[in-house]
Amino acid sequence: MKKLLSLVLALSMVLSCAALSYAEGEETSIAVSIASEPDTLDPALNSAVDGATLIAHLFSGLSTWAQDENGNLVIVPDQAVELPAAVINEDGTATYTYTLADGLTWSDGKPLTAADYVFAWKRAASEALAADYGYMFEVVKGYPDDLAVEATDDKTLVVTLNNDVSYWNELLAFPTYLPVREDVVANEAWATDPATYICNGPYIMSEWAHNSKIVLTKNPAYAKADGIKMDKIEFYLSDDANNMLSNFKNGDWLLIDDVPTAEIATLKAEYPTEFVVAGQIGTYYVCWNVNADILPADTTLTGVEAENARAEIRNAIALLFDRNYIVREIGQAGQVPASSFVAMGMTDADGSEFYKNAGSADFTGYYDVSEEAYESNWASAVETLKKYYAFDEATQQFTNFPTMEYLYNTSEGHKAIGEYLASALAGIGITMNLTNQEWATFLNTRKDGDYTIARNGWLADYNDPISFLDMWVSASGNNDVQFGKDAHKDIAAYSIDLTDLGIDVKVENGTWAQTYDVIINLVKKCTDKDTRYKLMHRAEDLLMSTGAIVPLYFYTDIYMIDDSVEGFFSNPLGYKYFMYCTVNK
Amino acid sequence: MNSKMLQYVLKRVLLALLTIWIVITVTFFVMHAVPGGPFIGEKAISKEAQAALEAKYGLDKPLMEQYTTYLKDIVTRFDFGPSLKQRGRMVTDIIADGMRTSAKLGVIAACIAAFIGIVLGAVAALRRNTVLDKTIMVITTAFVSMPSFIMGSLLLVLFSVTLKWVPANGASAGGLILPVITLALYPMAYITRLTRSSMLDVLGQDYIRTARAKGVSRRRIIFGHALKNSLIPVITYFGPMLAYITTGSMVVEQIFAVPGIGRQFVSSITNRDYTMIMGTTIFLATMIVIMNLVSDLLYKVVDPRIEFE
Repeated sequence: MKKLLSLVLALSMVLSCAALSYAEGEETSIAVSIASEPDTLDPALNSAVDGATLIAHLFSGLSTWAQDENGNLVIVPDQAVELPAAVINEDGTATYTYTLADGLTWSDGKPLTAADYVFAWKRAASEALAADYGYMFEVVKGYPDDLAVEATDDKTLVVTLNNDVSYWNELLAFPTYLPVREDVVANEAWATDPATYICNGPYIMSEWAHNSKIVLTKNPAYAKADGIKMDKIEFYLSDDANNMLSNFKNGDWLLIDDVPTAEIATLKAEYPTEFVVAGQIGTYYVCWNVNADILPADTTLTGVEAENARAEIRNAIALLFDRNYIVREIGQAGQVPASSFVAMGMTDADGSEFYKNAGSADFTGYYDVSEEAYESNWASAVETLKKYYAFDEATQQFTNFPTMEYLYNTSEGHKAIGEYLASALAGIGITMNLTNQEWATFLNTRKDGDYTIARNGWLADYNDPISFLDMWVSASGNNDVQFGKDAHKDIAAYSIDLTDLGIDVKVENGTWAQTYDVIINLVKKCTDKDTRYKLMHRAEDLLMSTGAIVPLYFYTDIYMIDDSVEGFFSNPLGYKYFMYCTVNK
Repeated sequence: MNSKMLQYVLKRVLLALLTIWIVITVTFFVMHAVPGGPFIGEKAISKEAQAALEAKYGLDKPLMEQYTTYLKDIVTRFDFGPSLKQRGRMVTDIIADGMRTSAKLGVIAACIAAFIGIVLGAVAALRRNTVLDKTIMVITTAFVSMPSFIMGSLLLVLFSVTLKWVPANGASAGGLILPVITLALYPMAYITRLTRSSMLDVLGQDYIRTARAKGVSRRRIIFGHALKNSLIPVITYFGPMLAYITTGSMVVEQIFAVPGIGRQFVSSITNRDYTMIMGTTIFLATMIVIMNLVSDLLYKVVDPRIEFE
């Protein structure tokens, strides 16, 4: 026993000493933590922001995000010599021809050709791969299984789109559009091991300790390697905001992409220059199930009349919420109160902000969410609700509003917002109980329309309002509101008139499919920029008129970055770029 | 090993296999009954894409057929399949990766806990009712009652954030020191208390009095007779404890960002990563069954009077 014990002791001492020794390097390096283990680093399969950040360092496509001399974000050519305008064909399709730069190679030294792009794009779009973002190729003719893209020689790539789209150059910088090589991806596990991870970007993957860290080192074969300032980037994989903060505070990690919600107020005060609130194109909102009945039990309204009443009720309830209170007291991260669905950060046809042109001309959005307007909003909401529900003047409470369940996914932040919404409704006698479900169950319940009112949120995939609007067509998999489904399918309550835009479409009392779906289809085919954006405003007008979407605020992206780091930037989709960073310590 | 013992071991192994089979069956069907699936995300994929994925992983087949295929694959080929979420990785590789860290942490922590615990417990028993005994008891009571997320957070704030002696993440060199200590404190305190009470019990036995009366040295009484016999409850505790501690502590791994297996248990469930849920559950069940068996067998080594039946 004694021998065993001494052996154990000796062993434990040796092991802990071994663990103590520190390794030191000499090249420029930065340690950061943006998220936990990525699900995949295959550019075609990735659908996460953290994965996209890593991929943006490892791969290079036809275009890329960069900062110009004024610090503004721009899309610039990367592997393409230039980003030419489209040639519009007779049938309205648009053809782009790209020339690849000279001397492009893969990280294993083999030459990169236009055929690699053809292969990669066809693979990413194919139904067989079933990539989350396969639909990013929807704009390309022949999607999904017969993409109109070809390599006319080793350096020339020709692609034809159904019609010209304004965000095409931005799509070229999106991970799904990055090239991969056929023999590399033939091995299904290629993207999980540095030895088989052949890429073509500024960095190569030199280490991936799963669930621990990913190390990127500069790729000497990268054509623009001279411009890359950081030699080595260590991405630590952590999903715990408290742990990230500890590592930031002790100086080990220079950027962390998450902080504990409870600490936000303290951190803002304690680290005024290092706590950063950046824009992010996304909307936090509440959605109603359009098929859930919220009218009083003894109502005589049916069909279209009932739906019109529900729309009015939902729009009234949207006025009862004080969005300024939510962002100030609960969100605490510089979020912007929202009263339209398409998020802040999306540009309009003339380059101005899309959300500022939405809704009423008198204020921003579909209702006035300024601090001053709250009281009158509340009063007008109560007046509207009185049309449908019994109101007790003595207690100022509605007495026959059916009890509702507010569905949200388990999280302190969502709970706090749910509690606030419930308390606002309780003020006029509406009972809304909170129900939380674990993430995967929640997604399922919401998608199936098995709820009355639920928490929701949407982050854009690219800078075009259509990425917010096409999710509400009847057949969309993201149509949580259930527009045009079940009972709502036959409700002919909507009218559109597009003749003033020069489009021969006028529908009175049509169903969702005959109105909203039609506008979205027109947007996708429209080649005139002005008209296209006007159509998108019309679509949002129709969407908001249903009251089924209750925007609360536009998201922001908060992160902490050490003062010693210079040259860092992030793009509107939240990808973070470390290649041009220097650390002055 | 005599035939009686062999028979016993055989019986226990069969029982263990039965246990694991039940665990597999229950987990498999409960897992599929829970709402949600591995391919549901915030952003929906098309029905065609969903169908293609389900076909690829055989999830389109009837549940019973999936179940029999799964059992057949693990029995005949030890094939636990690919992870449905971490694309391109095999379940066995992910478990092996996580286990390398968790087992290292766990074994070191268990050894430290056993060594310090037994020594402190014996000292406390031998110095019964002295200040030393009372101090040891107070400290161990504190460690036993303090949950690891509090202990871990305290150590983290003190040694990583304030003093900056060690890194705050398990991925850096030296980053495993704090998790090891956090993991070791509870079992150490528990073993101390077990050893103390068991030792006190043994020291009151007639054979100890006899040994003392016939003039056996104090050293020999303690190490030759008392300590060995007082370790039986410790061994009962040690086996399952080793199984738990080496298969990863979710809490400790979370606090210190340790790339162990514990986090995989939880994330596989939230992700509905069916093959990972099965793999990790079977693995944990097997470890516990084995450790229980080993500690039962160890009784015999410590106390030859124990009969197997």
